[in-house]
Amino acid sequence: MATETDGAGESRFPSEPQHTTGRDLAGLAIALGLFALAILIWWDASSYPARRNYAQVGPEIFPYVVAAGLVVFGFLTVRLAILSEFPERSEMNWPPVGWIVGAVVAEITLLSIGAGFILASGALFGLSARGMGRRPVWFTILVGVCISAFLYILFRHGLGLSLRAGPLERLIDSPFRR
Amino acid sequence: MDTFSLLLNGLAVAAEPMNLLFALIGVILGTAVGVMPGIGPALTVALLLPVSLSFGATGSLIMFAGIYYGGMYGGAISSILLNTPGETASIMTAVEGNKMARDGRGGKALGAAAIGSFFGGSFATLGLAVVAPFMVMVALSFGPAEYFALMVLSFMTVSAAFGGSIIRGLTALFLGLAIGLVGIDKLTGQARLAFGVAELRDNISIAIVAVGLFAVGETLYIASQKHNIGEKVEAIKGSVWLTLADLKRCIKPYLRGTLLGFSFGPLPTGGAEIPTFLSYSTERKTAKGVAKEEFEGPKGAIEGVAGPEAANNASAAGTLIPLLTLGLPTSATAAIMLAGFQQYGLQPGPLLFTNNPDIVWGLVASLFIANVMLVVLNLPFVGVWVKLLMIPRPWLYAGILTFATLGIVGAEGSVFALVLLLAFGLLGFLMRRFGYPLAPVLVGTILGPLAEEQLRRGLMINRGDWTFLFTSPIALTIYAIAFAAVLGPVIWRAMQPKGANTAFAMDGD
Repeated sequence: MATETDGAGESRFPSEPQHTTGRDLAGLAIALGLFALAILIWWDASSYPARRNYAQVGPEIFPYVVAAGLVVFGFLTVRLAILSEFPERSEMNWPPVGWIVGAVVAEITLLSIGAGFILASGALFGLSARGMGRRPVWFTILVGVCISAFLYILFRHGLGLSLRAGPLERLIDSPFRR
Repeated sequence: MDTFSLLLNGLAVAAEPMNLLFALIGVILGTAVGVMPGIGPALTVALLLPVSLSFGATGSLIMFAGIYYGGMYGGAISSILLNTPGETASIMTAVEGNKMARDGRGGKALGAAAIGSFFGGSFATLGLAVVAPFMVMVALSFGPAEYFALMVLSFMTVSAAFGGSIIRGLTALFLGLAIGLVGIDKLTGQARLAFGVAELRDNISIAIVAVGLFAVGETLYIASQKHNIGEKVEAIKGSVWLTLADLKRCIKPYLRGTLLGFSFGPLPTGGAEIPTFLSYSTERKTAKGVAKEEFEGPKGAIEGVAGPEAANNASAAGTLIPLLTLGLPTSATAAIMLAGFQQYGLQPGPLLFTNNPDIVWGLVASLFIANVMLVVLNLPFVGVWVKLLMIPRPWLYAGILTFATLGIVGAEGSVFALVLLLAFGLLGFLMRRFGYPLAPVLVGTILGPLAEEQLRRGLMINRGDWTFLFTSPIALTIYAIAFAAVLGPVIWRAMQPKGANTAFAMDGD
């Protein structure tokens, strides 16, 4: 499967391990994740207190079914990984992904320390636009703050959505209050 | 009341000024987003799901349907001018449409696409109005066994039809079922997989799952790719208005496309991919004279745009039949619309038709209105939409993320919801990267708890006897269809030439 590529295949590192060994380690990691999830669900379900009723079964039955299914497909995933039957993956471009994850983390942090929606959302916009290749970062954040301020007014005062208020928001809110 | 008077009532609901406004917002947003390459109607509906909570049930459902139809129209524009289909439904349009644009007949291709969409959408919506009441009559006789069978059918078909591999599809389904388990059990009050976190005890909101997987996951996936395809927008040349001779060439493809789309739409085969493909190959095979030359040469034939475009809009209407009458989503967009219904405590199915006829028939009637709006928006104003193709990607995706988190923060009001959003975003990214389809996760999350309820209710009635599942002839028939639906696409793919398979490996919209 790895040999008959067109276009996308040319960008690949020639030394990518899963295609030289024929085994897909990332695929095995996915299978491991599925097993872990199944164990978690099984462990949780086994802790429910026993109930007697007409159905003969309680809230634990469906978790058991789901856990069993995950185990079955975990094994099938192992098979997929060993046979290298996952579709082609193009070369991973880490920096933009890092920027975007960082952007969401920044928004979460800013919101929890009470900086308010506009600053938090502006940081998200700015950092993710930077991640997708727009520079400089102070400019993208400035654009983000302006857009977020507009969205705040539109959704807070136009549609009544509750958005976290910080110092900036209180400043904007004051003319709306009489 | 017969269908006709119900539909008239619905028309009165749909014609209320606010509802007209919602339909207009829906079709504009749908077209705008459908035009942008890589963003399909599923993502748009997911983004607007949390925000729409303040719009009211009828209004937001009308808007969602407008987005769905609008996305189908908009997809044609990027296919024809850019050769990058906005969603899987437009892949076949791109083949002849882009050839026509490069030949200087882009205007004609856009015109044929818009009129085809209108034709397919309107006639299939009419079909929806006629067929739905019969489906409701059948569905009213269903008990727990039949409903459970229907959900199994939905699980199987969604997992088998999307994505390249049944194993990956079913794995995605079980992930969704696991997500659906989190929270308080409806029948006993037992907290499951909550680990003492208060936010997890009252279930994970479907909006977080949908927006995380589709919006955040998709953005991460696009960001992770090093090489972007060279994109060249073809300028619109020639008038978008069709001449009488053009219309004459298009009318038969329109009819055939509508028929194909409407008959495949309700089947759980994964949305519009198969009918558009069939429509294209039918037109290609039956082409004679000039049309045959254009199909084979570099010029591009108008029939190859007309047929698939009628088919994809007709299938969008067809998809709504099982969604409204049985609560059964057969495409990713339909699954998210189902979440939209649940947001308002409405469960699509036969009871929705008897309890909330205003909503159902208002929705159906608004589809006709949406179609008229769309053809007006798309013929004279097509140049405006083309400008959207020029938005630089950093701003576009930063905007999508901002909007996604705004909706979640506004609707959930907690920072923990954002942590979950990021987690589902990373999950969606990983799944995209390893070729897992996303739609089954959503269907599992939404239908899992419902299937469990039916199963346990059935067990309660039958005093723990599992055989009740397999004694009803209707349920057995449904299982047989589920089995066929899993094997069908396998056979279908095996019959296709190698190149065609890549089109079906994409995520279904």
